[in-house]
Amino acid sequence: MSNLLASHARETAVLLVLGVLLITLGLAAPGFFTAGNLRDILLINLPVLVTSIGMTMIIISRQIDVSIGAQFACCTVATGLLSKTGLPLPVFGTLVILLGLSLGALNGALIAFGRIPSIVVTLAMMIILRDTLTWLTEGAWVQGLPADFQWFGIGQGPGQAAILGLITIVWLAFYWGLSNLAAGRAIYAVGADAEAARLAGLPPQRITFAVFAMAGGLSALASLCNSLRFAELQSNAGTGLEMKTIAAVVVGGTAVSGGRGTLVGSLCGVALLGTIGTALTFLGVDPSWEKAIQGVIILAAVSADLLIERGSQQRSANA
Amino acid sequence: MPDPPLFVTEPPLWQRVFPNREWVLMIVIAAELAIFALMGENFATSGNGFEIIRLSVELGLLVLALTPVIVTGGIDLSVGSMMGLSAITFGWLWHQQGWPIWASGLATIILGLMGGWLNGLLIGRLGLAPLIVTLGSFSLYRGLAEGISGGVVSYTGFPDSFLFLGQGYWLGFLPPQAPLLLVAIILVGIYLHRTISGRTLYAIGYASDGARFAGVPVARRLITVYLLSGTMASMAAIIYVSHLGQAKSDAGSGYELMAITAVVLGGTSIFGGRGTVLGSLLGLLAIVILQNGLRLAAIPSELSGILTGLLLISSILVDAFSTRAAGHRPATNNRTPLPEEEMKVKNTQVAILSAVIILAALIVAGSNWLLVRSLNPSPNTAVKNRMTIAVMPKAKGDPYFVSCRKGAEEAARELGIDLIWDGPTELDAARQNEVVEGWITRKVDVIAVSVENQASISTVLRKARSRGINVVTWDADSETDARDFFINQATPQGIGNTLTDEAARILNGKGEFAVITGSLSAANQNEWIKYIRARATEKYPDLKLTTIQPSEDDRDRAFAQTQTILKVYPQVKVIVGISAPAVPGAAEAVKQSGRTDVKVIGLSLPNLCKPYVHGGFLESVVLWDTFNLGYLTVHASHELRTGRLKQNAGSIDFGRLSQIEVRNDQVILGSPFIFNKSNIDQFDF
Repeated sequence: MSNLLASHARETAVLLVLGVLLITLGLAAPGFFTAGNLRDILLINLPVLVTSIGMTMIIISRQIDVSIGAQFACCTVATGLLSKTGLPLPVFGTLVILLGLSLGALNGALIAFGRIPSIVVTLAMMIILRDTLTWLTEGAWVQGLPADFQWFGIGQGPGQAAILGLITIVWLAFYWGLSNLAAGRAIYAVGADAEAARLAGLPPQRITFAVFAMAGGLSALASLCNSLRFAELQSNAGTGLEMKTIAAVVVGGTAVSGGRGTLVGSLCGVALLGTIGTALTFLGVDPSWEKAIQGVIILAAVSADLLIERGSQQRSANA
Repeated sequence: MPDPPLFVTEPPLWQRVFPNREWVLMIVIAAELAIFALMGENFATSGNGFEIIRLSVELGLLVLALTPVIVTGGIDLSVGSMMGLSAITFGWLWHQQGWPIWASGLATIILGLMGGWLNGLLIGRLGLAPLIVTLGSFSLYRGLAEGISGGVVSYTGFPDSFLFLGQGYWLGFLPPQAPLLLVAIILVGIYLHRTISGRTLYAIGYASDGARFAGVPVARRLITVYLLSGTMASMAAIIYVSHLGQAKSDAGSGYELMAITAVVLGGTSIFGGRGTVLGSLLGLLAIVILQNGLRLAAIPSELSGILTGLLLISSILVDAFSTRAAGHRPATNNRTPLPEEEMKVKNTQVAILSAVIILAALIVAGSNWLLVRSLNPSPNTAVKNRMTIAVMPKAKGDPYFVSCRKGAEEAARELGIDLIWDGPTELDAARQNEVVEGWITRKVDVIAVSVENQASISTVLRKARSRGINVVTWDADSETDARDFFINQATPQGIGNTLTDEAARILNGKGEFAVITGSLSAANQNEWIKYIRARATEKYPDLKLTTIQPSEDDRDRAFAQTQTILKVYPQVKVIVGISAPAVPGAAEAVKQSGRTDVKVIGLSLPNLCKPYVHGGFLESVVLWDTFNLGYLTVHASHELRTGRLKQNAGSIDFGRLSQIEVRNDQVILGSPFIFNKSNIDQFDF
């Protein structure tokens, strides 16, 4: 038991905090646990959930990406403009995913082949993409979308189900691939020790490049799924998405030193950070304290993880 | 790779002064200076030089604080948030607790020490990753600042002797905060480059374990570094407060990224073990001069972001190539997952490469400038008597201001004047000041500002007036003695009353409503909420404002907040959105919830709301004609400069707007307008 606890210290810590939050809600505001509310929370947090898949892989490979919010915004505007040209959903959907893939690939190429640190590349990319977008759109929204744009044109209920189903499949695919495919394990190997991975015959550059490209594609998917829930699209979408995603991933136990992390952990992180906002409103807490509480939870989760780990190490040393 | 020689000979002088090829940045800065001296108006003046220094003090302190942090291989994302927490603490101690300025300042710096200590403790002693820890304190410190002040409070009215620190001139030209920055540069420079404990930071950054085995007290050094960065952030906050004349929880937001950009641009390796104070300062200068120069050349400020990003990538590329060319092993801690390969690039090739990159950046800037010129048929430098009117929105990207801009541009075409339209991309009081400072240096004829924060902008507007520039405010007013006229579209009271009356009409005077605001710290929205409350208590005793939730001017966030409100407060039947993106967001949430008993009203643009008004989810939109507001602002600015607009002038015609009332020092556009199903299609903005 203590072994299981130690190897999943962060997931345990996060679930513990989430449990406390949910019990408090159950006692103080049972209205929180209605199917409708849980579905809404899930849908609102979908973008973060999807981008957290890419971010988990990036952080496992010992890199970082702060440009995904900007990529998200670019793909949102592209989604709107392409759908206005009258293209059918499968076509413009593919084009948007391709756009995301190529934005991510550009990051990946500069990082892997240009040998620039990822924080520098993606910081620059964030500024460039956001400012170009403001410059070109001047803040105007994309309006006048085709009538069948929202919910794929199949209505709200089925549309929500379709989006949730799609994301579940994508998430499960990446979950399975990351733990079972050779390519998935290679990401861990590169993150743990790139030189050792290279000596073992893996191509670290190509793996890093592929990880960033996939993360770009996932940002595009996130933006697509989010856009299809609305009838108008804002050009500054995804503000702060990168910080939310990174916070959820690291709270979920992915080590920024590379080589360690799971999608389940990130899912726990998204669940915890994504619930707080709504939970506070249900508990009647003044919204101006929300950021402070979020900060405390991030710090508490990472410290708790360390304490659990040390505690179980001591126990096994005593035994 | 060949073995390193046994005896290391002293490297040549230029390598000792510029160990990280800082000369690349020097070339960039020189090129910027040359180009902007040609393009920008009054760029190459000593006055502008000192303004650049003034603008870089706060950021400079953060850059100095972050250099040692990044040299150790760490990062501190919390410095900007610490500025917010420090600013609000400083204001609270002085204003609410009646402490003297020096004592408040001292206590604030101690707070900065404590904040840095917390970071240092978690990173140094517990060994947690700096990125996670400071990401947590980034939220925590900003959150505490917002929580303490409710986001709403801002402290103003600081004594002149304190404001002199941030706004005055020593000997008539020297910004008083400049010597402070100089002292900080010297101290940090000596610490990092000339003390033993400073040098060990490089060892920690290069190989932390190795340093520990060599007897370096790693944990203690790390704590020192984060202590330093917390302290510098709180000092920067005090200077920021004296510069802007107000203490508010949003001080320094986004500064952490700008500071990190400058440090990295300056050649400090993000993986640690490499970096100089000189390099960081050059990085800072390159960015600040770029922003200032583009502003004086009246080029859209987004371009400075794009160029900064390109500069960042290209300078590091040059650096990476030249490092490999010189045979150094890059101090990357093995983090770049790449095999070592020898790249034979000669120094001359490096020089050519950097020259090409700089040239490319400048061609982009130059062609843009030419484009702007070709759009204005007679360039303002050639025909000096063409009037230049500079108009600033609160936020350029906001759809509300985008529609104002169209009106302003039409008026400019009619009058044959040069219109400069620039401002912050997001709500940012400090950036507004910077833009006005730039316009003063550029010597425009009229400045028209939609004011984000009264206290902070009034000083700089007074300065503009004292230099013979006419100042008007529009949309939101400054302090009355800081401007000549206020173009008043509708009073906050008028808006509050109209919205409350609409809510009462829908509810038949009895029931509960909720408000979705833009951000908790936006001054005008808080003003409207104040009048909504006042009107409700005064006229509709059975009307209850149940809750106020922020949406950060983000449609998706307003959507989520509305969904939650509908569930937590099922008795709420009217949602009042008071920021342009919040209204369609709230309406979409009501639509998707299927609740037909809830109606949305609010302050927004007709174009954003049309589908929801026709769908029956959005009852009415309250707004004035924004196109006309922009149009009137430029016309009134013009008439003010020509002398036709005088106080109490009665009713005058402005272009195609006839019989506009001028009351005292205000030009009144008219009362707010209610858009609903019957009339909304007649408007297009």
